[in-house]
Amino acid sequence: MIKPDFIFKEDLTFEDKAIRIFEFQREHNPAYQRFCEALEIGEVHDLDQIPLLPIKAFKDSDIITAKDHSEFKIEDLEFFQSSGTSGMVRSRHYLMDPEIYRQSIIRGMQYFYDLDDFVIWAYTPGYSSNPNSSLIWMLNMLIERDGSGLSRFLELNKPLDESEVQKATESGKKLMLFGAAFGLLDLVEMKETELPDESIVMETGGMKTHRREMSREELHRRLANGFGIPMSNIHSEYGMTELLSQAYNPGGYWFGTPPWMKVTIRNPKNPMEEVKIGEEGLIGVMDLANLYSCSFILTGDKGIQVGGGKFQVLGRWNPQNLRGCNFLIDRD
Amino acid sequence: MQRITKISQTLKNWLNPKNPVLQKAIQQTVEEGLFSMEDVEFQLNVLRENVENGEIQEWIKRAGLNDRQNAKGEKVLCLHAGNLPLVGFQTALGVILSGAGYYGKLSRKDPYLLGSFLKEMQNLKLDQQIKFSTDLNAFQQLNADAVVFAGSETSVPQVKNKISKLKAALKEANYIIRTAKFSIAYLDEWNEQVKCELTEAMLRYGGKGCRSVALVVAKFELDEVKEELLSEMQEFWEKNPQHQKPQPELKYQYAYNKGIQRNQLWLEDFLIQETDEFPETNFTVNWVRGDEEKVRSLRMNFGNVVQSVYTTGAEINGLKTEPLSKAQKPPLWWKPDGVDVVRILLKSIDN
Repeated sequence: MIKPDFIFKEDLTFEDKAIRIFEFQREHNPAYQRFCEALEIGEVHDLDQIPLLPIKAFKDSDIITAKDHSEFKIEDLEFFQSSGTSGMVRSRHYLMDPEIYRQSIIRGMQYFYDLDDFVIWAYTPGYSSNPNSSLIWMLNMLIERDGSGLSRFLELNKPLDESEVQKATESGKKLMLFGAAFGLLDLVEMKETELPDESIVMETGGMKTHRREMSREELHRRLANGFGIPMSNIHSEYGMTELLSQAYNPGGYWFGTPPWMKVTIRNPKNPMEEVKIGEEGLIGVMDLANLYSCSFILTGDKGIQVGGGKFQVLGRWNPQNLRGCNFLIDRD
Repeated sequence: MQRITKISQTLKNWLNPKNPVLQKAIQQTVEEGLFSMEDVEFQLNVLRENVENGEIQEWIKRAGLNDRQNAKGEKVLCLHAGNLPLVGFQTALGVILSGAGYYGKLSRKDPYLLGSFLKEMQNLKLDQQIKFSTDLNAFQQLNADAVVFAGSETSVPQVKNKISKLKAALKEANYIIRTAKFSIAYLDEWNEQVKCELTEAMLRYGGKGCRSVALVVAKFELDEVKEELLSEMQEFWEKNPQHQKPQPELKYQYAYNKGIQRNQLWLEDFLIQETDEFPETNFTVNWVRGDEEKVRSLRMNFGNVVQSVYTTGAEINGLKTEPLSKAQKPPLWWKPDGVDVVRILLKSIDN
């Protein structure tokens, strides 16, 4: 049995840990087992041989890794659910061991930031109104963890209170403000509020679901102007319901991952194959924190990668381009 | 309309199986592995039947084309994709019939068949320009009045940009862009004829092309007809071996279906799966149990990527339908994306 601590062990390589987790999940996750069998994949010796499960599986099935004869009951498990309108099939990610998610969030943030130096503000719905959101769970945990009492969920549709900003600054801590891309933009459009220079504004995505069309660069420029901080202090987080780890872009356009998470860019026509550096493809994620679901995921997002593993998210992959008549300059 | 008679006769001559020009084009196409002999012959036979049935005259009547109402003097640039043999033929013929100048960028994947027809048209010395090339750069400074091509959300800006750089079309040119990707079949009965028509509609040309069925709505489950369908498909492939093999993504999809325990019919080179999702990949047909209401709702959800809805005779309220038997044997005047190319050229010029 793999213990959760194993995920974060520093004396083992990512590859060693991933291969062991692959074997564990291939054996004890029925959906992943059937998937691997159909691809005729048995024992593996390197990362390239591990198949990535399409992310839709979290909508179409229960993705759970549990030892045979485990005593859990699925109906008793806490779960995260993706947002969506009624009638839509939504992803469901069961949380067998919340401590793993907690550890992954804290260690992941610590990898990129001096977490204890920050007061956390979240311009998002609160935990009570959205208990199945993995993002809100994460923010709630970060807020509760901060002993200063200054971290909190902000009231929606209300501009930032300058005296509260002042109070946070006087505490000697820096401010980290989380929010969805266009939620943050609404906030500065309500009222521009100057934040202290060292503040970080953390955009958590949501570019594709909003009424406005805007490039990420334009959005970050407007946020920097609205909050009176340098562009380099507008950061992004890449996370989703189906992952228990997050990638961060600490200024600029490239995301990095914590040591127990690895991103590759896959050929949509052959997801077992990585595309060449700099080519567009589907973002593939190996997230070892998904120990009790599936750690090997093929997302529906389009991305590119540079050497060193850093990557950019270029929006959703559009499957409509894949079939039928389509005149293409370079092929026709 | 002497011109039309000349075009019609020349087309008939070109389609003659003994025509050495056509024979050479077929040979080159097959020898270079562009398409299979069976698919090429099938397409040519459909065209032969169309012409024999007097469909050129019928098309002209339907489009309202005559000596006073035509597109003479206009320049139309056609960019032909090459996913099935002679896929651009109907557009090319339509433009020529309309009287407009035809400027065709032929696909490098299908240059011989359409090329040989266009050469015959050039030899007719009609009172209109007929030019073609496999190189888009050949149309630099053309300043066309209209551009016709099949595109998708991501390819359209790239194509428009290239055309603009080359000044191949006027800034205010009318762009006729085809976005349809696949068709839907509604089955309310199952018998030998339906089985045979459905197989042809799904498998001909490897299921490529917007008239191919990629989504089946049936009053019954896939399981109920799986065995019969399988043997019909195998029989089809014996006579028409599948020319292109799918990419590994197809096996990946099969494995995914296994993972989530989705019902499917896996044939190594083709996949039928029970889902009402958008049919994303080539060589895949999605099958869903449903009634007419389901067809209407899917047609609405998928919008302009759906070319046609076929039935085996049933009418579906509020939807235009075609017979399933016509999926791969459309009349000459069929409307890609619901648009008659001759009629739209006349209209755009009137405006």
